[in-house]
Amino acid sequence: MEENERQEALENLELIKELVLQTKKHMGSYGGGWISIIWGVFCLIGVAGQRLFIPQGALMGVWWTALIIIAIFASFLVNRIYIKAQPVRAKHEYMRYFLRFWLPLILLGYTLTLFIALTPSLSNHYIAIVMLLIVSTGYLIIGLLFYRGILYMGSIGYVCTTLSAIYFLEYSDIILGSLFGVGLIITGFVINKQWKNT
Amino acid sequence: MEEHIAVKLNKVIHQKSRLGIMSILVASEEAEFNYLKEKLNLTDGNLSSHLSLLEKEKYIKIKKRFVRKKPKTSCQLTEKGRQAFEEYLDNLEKVIRSVPKD
Repeated sequence: MEENERQEALENLELIKELVLQTKKHMGSYGGGWISIIWGVFCLIGVAGQRLFIPQGALMGVWWTALIIIAIFASFLVNRIYIKAQPVRAKHEYMRYFLRFWLPLILLGYTLTLFIALTPSLSNHYIAIVMLLIVSTGYLIIGLLFYRGILYMGSIGYVCTTLSAIYFLEYSDIILGSLFGVGLIITGFVINKQWKNT
Repeated sequence: MEEHIAVKLNKVIHQKSRLGIMSILVASEEAEFNYLKEKLNLTDGNLSSHLSLLEKEKYIKIKKRFVRKKPKTSCQLTEKGRQAFEEYLDNLEKVIRSVPKD
């Protein structure tokens, strides 16, 4: 076997790797940035609504349920629009990932939220704590399996949520809602910027 | 002692532009003509001829449709194409391993 043949094989392997990586990157941001922004706004509006408009109690459940439905619908819509507009696509990749991974976690959070809301001895302040611990767990799992950057986000989320629960329980929803909301919005803009550069 | 292994690389895929097309399609479910043209720095005519050859070998499927009255051409990898690409990758590895390091 000639050395130049081996060299050509190495070059071809490098080309394949580069193109596969570029394509995956391009597809990986299928509306992901905007979806992150939607969920960031969801956090901010959710907490603001909870504090400003709605007294603690059953209405809070209706408020969050309505917001979750709107956020899921908006995420789905953004994903569809992006898929149709993109020149390279993997059908429903993002939604498939969302449905398999995030939806069970959201449902778990929602069940725990209902449990806390319906248990008089538990403060409603724990709702934000539980929801954000679940979101942080999701980030930690994704971070451990795929992206190191998200692992840091998950770890920071975990530490901040725990510290808030211990030291500022009464204001934890405002602190954490703002932290996660702004964090998700910034992440969304970073993803959008990275996607534009690919 | 040098180890000699006779490896036959698939000539259809081995050509750089076609290898690029196959790599993009293997990573995605569907890619548009203009995307392939831009990513691989090819002219319309060049890309068309490479796509025709890959289609003739039944490695890809070419779809034509109209979006807002504009024609759009997109390509998909077939099962035969995926298998051929995997086989090509295996053979590439064999070529790389068959020559001992200095």
